[in-house]
Amino acid sequence: MMLLTAARCLLLAGVSCVALSSPAAAQGDNRARFTRIIHVEDSTSERTPSVTAAPQYPALARRDRIEGEATVCYTVDKNGRIHKPAVRKSSHRMFAKPSLKAIKQSSYEPLRPDQKASFVKTCRTFRFLLAPVAIEEVE
Amino acid sequence: MSWSAAFATATITAVLLVSASWSEESKVVIGPRNPDLADGAQELLAGNAKEGVELTLRGLKIAQGKREKEAALSNLCAGYIMIQDLDSALKYCNMLLLSNDRHWRGYNNRALIYVMKKEYEKAEKDLAIGQDINPNARTLKVVKGMLLDATHPVSPNIIIDDRKGKKADAPVEEDS
Repeated sequence: MMLLTAARCLLLAGVSCVALSSPAAAQGDNRARFTRIIHVEDSTSERTPSVTAAPQYPALARRDRIEGEATVCYTVDKNGRIHKPAVRKSSHRMFAKPSLKAIKQSSYEPLRPDQKASFVKTCRTFRFLLAPVAIEEVE
Repeated sequence: MSWSAAFATATITAVLLVSASWSEESKVVIGPRNPDLADGAQELLAGNAKEGVELTLRGLKIAQGKREKEAALSNLCAGYIMIQDLDSALKYCNMLLLSNDRHWRGYNNRALIYVMKKEYEKAEKDLAIGQDINPNARTLKVVKGMLLDATHPVSPNIIIDDRKGKKADAPVEEDS
């Protein structure tokens, strides 16, 4: 059941949770269709994410049951575009590339005219987790 | 489990056992000693399972020596997996492993058969022996993944965490 339900989060102080679908899901990739994506936003941030692309879980990591995380840091310009993304740390090199790719596909809301134009440095951490699922066999 | 995965996973021993013979003009002729076996391996590698099995069966009849015979048995096991005849595949894998109990491809292919037959404990045992013999074999990892998918399926979850200064185990609580 968990496979098909949208991600739901308990709201934490200062954090909002939303469910997203990965770009790959829209392309009909079966593996990605069952990937649950949870976005934990930072409500203290000056910038609001506009497009948040999710990385694909690396197939080899899934096969070998490897979990981990990668953190990508970057700057956001006044138009919401992401600049100079770089992997700051990655628990396994398999997670670095899809994380970087996801960041490159993401963007933020442009600044309003009354907001100060500035580049904002920020980081995003992608956690790759594998949850056990129970599948009922149908004869 | 898809049969294409099985195709990709059943390991095939490419056979090119060469022999040199002297012709009247003393030219060295190098070629497979058992052409049926070599051609059968090529057909299997090309994905032509039926032709590969037929040629390999012919090659087995004239196989000389332990190495040639084991290559034939290994390829027959893989070939029968490819044509979805699991009982025949198991028969040849068993014959192979009786002849050589250190043949990691034999354990790989037999584990794959057991996964397909849903005999998971046997598959796990064969994979453990295979990985002990050849810890770096990619195909053993693939079959192990297939076994895990069958016995312990998992669903990937990706958490995109924008919070500043969060710890790796930062709480993202969910409803069950």
